[in-house]
Amino acid sequence: MRLIIDGRKKAVSHRGDIASLLKKLKVRREEVVVKLNGRLAPETASVRANDTVEVLRVVFGG
Amino acid sequence: MANPAGKLSKCFKCDDDAVIRLHYCERSLCAAHFVRMFDKRFRSTVREFRMISKGERVAVGLSGGKDSTVLLNCLHELSKDLPMELVAITIDEGIAGYRNATLQIAKKQAKKLGIEHRVISFKKEIGKTLDAILREQDTEHPTRNTGHTTRNTGHGTRNFLPCSWCGVLRRGLLNRAARELEADKLAMGHNLDDMAQTVLMNIFRNEPSRTSRLLDPPAKGPGFVRRIRPLLRTPEKETAVYAMVRGMDMNYKECPYAQSAFRQLVRSQLNDMEELHPGTKYKVLGSFLAMEKAPGEHPARARFTACSSCGEPGSSALCKFCEMTGKAAR
Ligand SMILES: [Zn+2]
Ligand SMILES: [Zn+2]
Repeated sequence: MRLIIDGRKKAVSHRGDIASLLKKLKVRREEVVVKLNGRLAPETASVRANDTVEVLRVVFGG
Repeated sequence: MANPAGKLSKCFKCDDDAVIRLHYCERSLCAAHFVRMFDKRFRSTVREFRMISKGERVAVGLSGGKDSTVLLNCLHELSKDLPMELVAITIDEGIAGYRNATLQIAKKQAKKLGIEHRVISFKKEIGKTLDAILREQDTEHPTRNTGHTTRNTGHGTRNFLPCSWCGVLRRGLLNRAARELEADKLAMGHNLDDMAQTVLMNIFRNEPSRTSRLLDPPAKGPGFVRRIRPLLRTPEKETAVYAMVRGMDMNYKECPYAQSAFRQLVRSQLNDMEELHPGTKYKVLGSFLAMEKAPGEHPARARFTACSSCGEPGSSALCKFCEMTGKAAR
């Protein structure tokens, strides 16, 4: 999969849903929204090998 | 055949792909059903707290960030059913590299919706920008440092909290502008996360009178425009999703001045709790509302008097605004 987080590309291999990906990235679910192949997706959506996942921080302060 | 995970990613109400999972009620929603739920909750919150009466003039604090932009759009929608006069107020604190972008978004949003828009600047009202005030503080007390530093954005380090300064000055100017615009209400973009954080912070610091202020009862004192927070039941993440789904132009840039380390800590802990125990934020808000409604003695609500210097309402003889600008002018 292709991952973009905080506007930067990052190499990650992941099998499973978005929730477990966020855990792996140590990103709080409450503070980001995730786009799967360009579309907003719930954390329950699973990620496949050719997917592009974009993690956007929407809650700031840290 | 859809696997269980795939099924969870479908809308709870229709066959469309979900855009969000609401963990606190274990439901996923598509864009259309999410917008419908969001609008319904917004309207029922306005009704529940009797925030707006027909025909009122409502000033909206419009920072240009996601929450206030969503707030303005939702109030504009609501005004089609509940007639009200909207006027947007943006405070330009003078934060280089940050405020200009959000100011442009605020202008664009107000214009798009055909809403009267006022921009009030620190520079004009107080005589200097927030950047300048903070720079002066730095040179005045170069050695004192309580650890509240900014991010590495060239805005330097300082010995007090930019956010508390900015907050007091911004609130003062917003209230004055709303009053001068003859607004009946001043709508603020605070969301569920802000509310729950503030309630917890006040508990941790044993400052119940500050918590009482959150609902801003009407009889607060002369000179105060009653503040309303129609997004108080809306999780922060959902305002972001709503803005995206509705295609609102948004700036996700953050203010270069660091927030209080304490608020950051409470936010992180609360978000961790929410993940482990979905619905925690609603429970914090719920217990605060229950305490507010409980009969009997309430924690002392600060009494408000007119400031001896500027005449604006405040909780002491010299209001916080004058105290701070006095310091700033020194
Ligand atoms: Zn649906
Ligand atoms: Zn004063």
